[in-house]
Amino acid sequence: MSAELLVRSTWTTGSTAAIKTGTWRAALPQHVRAPSPCHAACPVHGDIAEWIGQARDGDFAAAWSTLSRHNPLPAVIGRICHHPCEGACNRAGHDEPLSICKLERCVGDIALERGWSYAAATLQQPERVAVVGGGPSGLSAAFQLRRRGYAVTLFEAQPELGGVMRYGIPGYRLAREVLDAEIERILALGVEVRCGQALTAPQALEDLHSAFDAIYLAIGARRQKRLPQLDYSQPWVVDGAEFLAQTSLGARPALGRHVVVIGGGSAALDVARSARRAGHEVTILALEAEPEMPAQRDEVVEAREEGITLVDAAMLRVVSELDRSAGGGLRLHCVRVQLGRAAPRGPVTVTALPGSDFVFEADAIVTSIGQDPDLAPLGARFATDGPLLQTDAFGATSVDGVWAGGDLTSGARFVSEAIAMGEHAALSIDRRLRLRAGPAEPAGQHSPAAAPVAGDTEALVPLAAINLHYHPVAARPTARRLAVPERLAAGGEVQLGLAIEQALAEAVRCFSCGTCTHCDNCVTYCPDFAVQRHGDGYRVLTDYCKGCGLCVKECPSGSMTMQEELR
Amino acid sequence: MSGEQAPMLLTGNHAVAWAARLARPQVVPVYPITPQTPVLEKLTDFQAEGHFDAEIITPESEHSVMSACIPASLAGVRVFTATASQGLLLMHELLHYASGARAPIVMANVNRTVASPWAFWPDQTDSLAQRDTGWIQFYVETAQEALDTVIQAFRVAEQVLLPVLVNLDAFYVSHALEPVVVPAQALVDAYLPPFAPAQRLDTAQPSSWGNVVSQDMYYRHRQDIEAAMARVPELAAAADREWSSHTGRSHGVIERYRCDGAAAVIVSMGSLCGTAREAVDAMRDSGLAVGLVKLRLFRPLPVAALRAALGGIAALDDVVVLDRNHSPGVGGVLHQELRAALYGMPDAPRVHGYLAGVGGVNVSPERIAAFVHQALASPVRAESEWVR
Repeated sequence: MSAELLVRSTWTTGSTAAIKTGTWRAALPQHVRAPSPCHAACPVHGDIAEWIGQARDGDFAAAWSTLSRHNPLPAVIGRICHHPCEGACNRAGHDEPLSICKLERCVGDIALERGWSYAAATLQQPERVAVVGGGPSGLSAAFQLRRRGYAVTLFEAQPELGGVMRYGIPGYRLAREVLDAEIERILALGVEVRCGQALTAPQALEDLHSAFDAIYLAIGARRQKRLPQLDYSQPWVVDGAEFLAQTSLGARPALGRHVVVIGGGSAALDVARSARRAGHEVTILALEAEPEMPAQRDEVVEAREEGITLVDAAMLRVVSELDRSAGGGLRLHCVRVQLGRAAPRGPVTVTALPGSDFVFEADAIVTSIGQDPDLAPLGARFATDGPLLQTDAFGATSVDGVWAGGDLTSGARFVSEAIAMGEHAALSIDRRLRLRAGPAEPAGQHSPAAAPVAGDTEALVPLAAINLHYHPVAARPTARRLAVPERLAAGGEVQLGLAIEQALAEAVRCFSCGTCTHCDNCVTYCPDFAVQRHGDGYRVLTDYCKGCGLCVKECPSGSMTMQEELR
Repeated sequence: MSGEQAPMLLTGNHAVAWAARLARPQVVPVYPITPQTPVLEKLTDFQAEGHFDAEIITPESEHSVMSACIPASLAGVRVFTATASQGLLLMHELLHYASGARAPIVMANVNRTVASPWAFWPDQTDSLAQRDTGWIQFYVETAQEALDTVIQAFRVAEQVLLPVLVNLDAFYVSHALEPVVVPAQALVDAYLPPFAPAQRLDTAQPSSWGNVVSQDMYYRHRQDIEAAMARVPELAAAADREWSSHTGRSHGVIERYRCDGAAAVIVSMGSLCGTAREAVDAMRDSGLAVGLVKLRLFRPLPVAALRAALGGIAALDDVVVLDRNHSPGVGGVLHQELRAALYGMPDAPRVHGYLAGVGGVNVSPERIAAFVHQALASPVRAESEWVR
């Protein structure tokens, strides 16, 4: 038999480098880092997919570090945020939105348990910044400025820091030890604190102006809106904020058996549920129909569980006082209403429904229908916008060297919004102070480079970009709540956090929209070996990619996109 | 050489199974189909008895069978399979792929009618329809020849890196019992050393087959296949000669039977040749000088051997081709192939094409004699004629 061995002429060894299939291409895939819908919806643009990915990998320290990039209060926010991120979550189109808020709480709590602290600023700046107001916005600004090396002095009118988080939000929603610990961790960076120092007159602001290189005003909105049909001099009418400030300090205002809370927002729910815990029978009278109430859905559900009566889509017309000496209370004359708008973005109109009048009795009324900032102590120098102080997009006021944020400048009234405004202003202050030696920059003028975060303008990753085959349907963890008798008896936190196993399982549910998980599917499935790992991402070899789109289709996180090529 | 055993009574299918066992393939993907199933049954019997150490794979279709055969062969192991009729047709796409991949697979095909209508008769249309797929094709007359040819087929396939189809007629060969000499394992081992190709798919030394190639690479690749095919008649003849030196049995690439001085020669393939021998003997006895050329190697067509066999007889005027197949629009495949092979030859004999055994109809020695007389008395026609 012949000993010769035949060789196949087109047997391939080594590589397919000779075959440049890239000439077939009409479209080219690209590895991108694209903003997720949750990231865009988050007031602080919290890099959600990134920190959830780190938590999924079990690296909670890294997750916390990423979280606190834009928010120094994750354990707090993980309890009280209105979480617009979850409303935007792509997972809702598959099964249920991710439990992002609870995951944040879990990471924040782990950081507290393990005593993690912020690294001190590596560089000290000579400038001093005054932050006026120790609520969420002021604390956020102080944190961001101190981290950048500025000397920060934090002024607070109340005896303790925290603002609305301490004097508004009740302890059953936000445990005080959590609040204290997260504030303490910010202060540990070296923030000088002066509590009990209110900004009472324009001169006080002038003094600060001359003593500091920049000022951030975040004094909140503590002036109560009032109903014209009520006489607030009566002992049976109380402002909601006042009520919450008292109960948060442990006081129990004497209001009789049955308390009516007027309002439909979170603050009204806080008042109602605090009153319930103080032993009152409570009715909420809300102008909005239940689905339209600005309060979070959870709060309404929990209030009901606690035995609070909700009368929605109704308005108080007049109160008549019964014979109090005979033990009589109040008679509330109400009417059903319908809300509407005359124009698409016009003011809300209230229409009373004819013949829907009704009457009920109560002992006291607490109104919680909103608050405005008190602008009087700032003097007349500042431009205003209705009841608010006017600023540009980066928090700069019309007065040079003074920035402002939080409820003082915004009607959004969410703690997370306040934190975001604190960060934006801090970045703007930082930029101004760094540029001071350089060419002068007109007040209020910022180049786009000064924009603190991306995510507002880029195309968000849509659900269609996610390959759902990699994401089996899985339920969101059921919210665990304290049993009602325990809530009312002990006043502890109603909403319970996720166990760590639950948190890890929930992190696995995250699509990681637009944040590559380095699964290598794009490398594995490319029929032309045209996708390669490159640094922290991937690159597509244009000589060989024939534009088939497999890498895009097989990407579980929407991190590969197809770009049409014109050539 | 010694080592011959006493003859066993075997069907053609079991003779094929014995040949496969003796050739020691390492991978046997196979799917059962009438009338090939006894091949598979016998091989699994052998394996159950501990005599057959191959990986037998039973996928869900013949397409998958061939899909398994090709990479197994490219991985450098000897591969055997068997099929019939529709099974072979289902493999068609991969038959091209296998020869293109230069995979020396050996496959036995039991020639059976193709559907529709559904039928189970001997007919060679199934394998003749695969003549352009790049497979070497043998047609055998007996169970003994089936055994010998399968073993020889591995020898030739692995020399030229092309796959081989060994065809045996349904029932006449596949199911008829005959005395068959089964050679000793040592004899076959000496004749057929283990398959050791220069290239093989090996995860330890990554390489690949099947990449997209340029026009130029493809063109050269087809030239290489043609060059390999061109070597086959000589290598097949050599393999047969060496087999003969060990066993005393030779079948040739073509076989000339009593052709000396013949005025007419019958040409056919497969089991019909056995009947034609009877007819030739009878006509010779009656004084008519008739011979038989049995075509054993159909692809590549041994044109030189055919021209030598049919051009070298001074008295020869008529060639009678008996086709047990049907190519609609042309007639008999062998008829057309033979006309093409002899075309342009000086003093070429007249080639008469008879569709004699289509659908397995019985073709007796008497009828064959009648066909020869008909040919001698008739003008030659370009078309094949239906005869019974």
